[in-house]
Amino acid sequence: MYEAVYAHPDGDSTVARHALTAAESGFDGIVVRNHGDEPADYDAEAIADEYGVDVAEGVEIRAENPSRASGFVGNHRSEATVVVVHGGDPKLNRFAVEQPAVDVLAHPMRGDGDFNHVLANEAAANGVRVAYSLGPVLRESGGRRVRAIKQLRKLRELLEDADAPFVVTADPASHLQQRAPRELVAVGEAVGFDAETIREGLAEWGRLVERNRERRRDSFVEPGVTVEREEGGDS
Amino acid sequence: MKHLPKHLRPRWRYLAVEIESWPDASFDRRAFQREVWYAAQNLLGDTGSAETDMTVLRFEHRDGAGHAIVRVRRGETDAARAALACLDSVDGDAVRVRIRGISGTVRACEEKYIGGPPEAPQQRHVVFENADRSATVRDPRYDVETASDGAFVGATALDFR
Repeated sequence: MYEAVYAHPDGDSTVARHALTAAESGFDGIVVRNHGDEPADYDAEAIADEYGVDVAEGVEIRAENPSRASGFVGNHRSEATVVVVHGGDPKLNRFAVEQPAVDVLAHPMRGDGDFNHVLANEAAANGVRVAYSLGPVLRESGGRRVRAIKQLRKLRELLEDADAPFVVTADPASHLQQRAPRELVAVGEAVGFDAETIREGLAEWGRLVERNRERRRDSFVEPGVTVEREEGGDS
Repeated sequence: MKHLPKHLRPRWRYLAVEIESWPDASFDRRAFQREVWYAAQNLLGDTGSAETDMTVLRFEHRDGAGHAIVRVRRGETDAARAALACLDSVDGDAVRVRIRGISGTVRACEEKYIGGPPEAPQQRHVVFENADRSATVRDPRYDVETASDGAFVGATALDFR
């Protein structure tokens, strides 16, 4: 199970601190998904070795309109293992689910963002994972939290109906905002999710990381096709 | 009132709760208990809150690290876990809570999951992003004070190699 975190300077904790906390909480890895304009400076391998959790390099694309976002996706796709789009705007939500090059649409319901069956079907067709964000459930209170829980339910009904892929995250911007997988499962159950859905959503980040690393290998041609080097051959 | 016969007494479970915060946070058991009640009531409602009946028994917290034992009714541990996860600040200080384990007695809970009191931190001067900063250190955790008004960045020993 993975958590997708914002690290300093986009958040209040360095990648190393996030990784240490995630390891203690029982995660298998973290995805660093700093916004494109606030990248973190870190050595993923050294951190992974020290704390025993995987550290995947990701990016969250925040743009004011789809055409800029499209440019950013093109720029980041080749270096980032996980490409997330900062959702919450109807146009950007639409853009993200229509782009197979996008891995995850984050917090689609934030702000004036909304979601419907058309977007859910697009997401399913293009394999774009839509994120269930438990952040507002954990950290907001009163009316905002009620709204967030309502929106999570709407999103869940739509994604289940379309059989669209999804991920789960608490959107932690500091190590203090991280919650352990078992805690997230308990919170998910309290707001109407199945325990299995939450676990699947946390595990999906890991599968995504693995798939994208596989794809970035030189030997990869297309799904199911790789170039095998012959032993001792010169090809 | 005369105490209840053993088979009628409520059965309890004891949660070992780890509490982490920035080093300048300071709150006591009462403040933590209040937040636990609020968290339970906000997430589970009055009925759920009464069902879980969470009480903070042991509490220790200083300089950003601590632990507590929270008593809940047997069978309500999942609800209690959810409510505790939603506890994100105490008296305005951000906190991270994590449940280390659950036991049937306070003693087992202490022995298995809590151990000694939180380790005392050291103050060190570090260079963080090309500036001299003071850091509160519990190896390998470094909480770096990046502004005099108590803004911190969480780091680890790896960031200062």
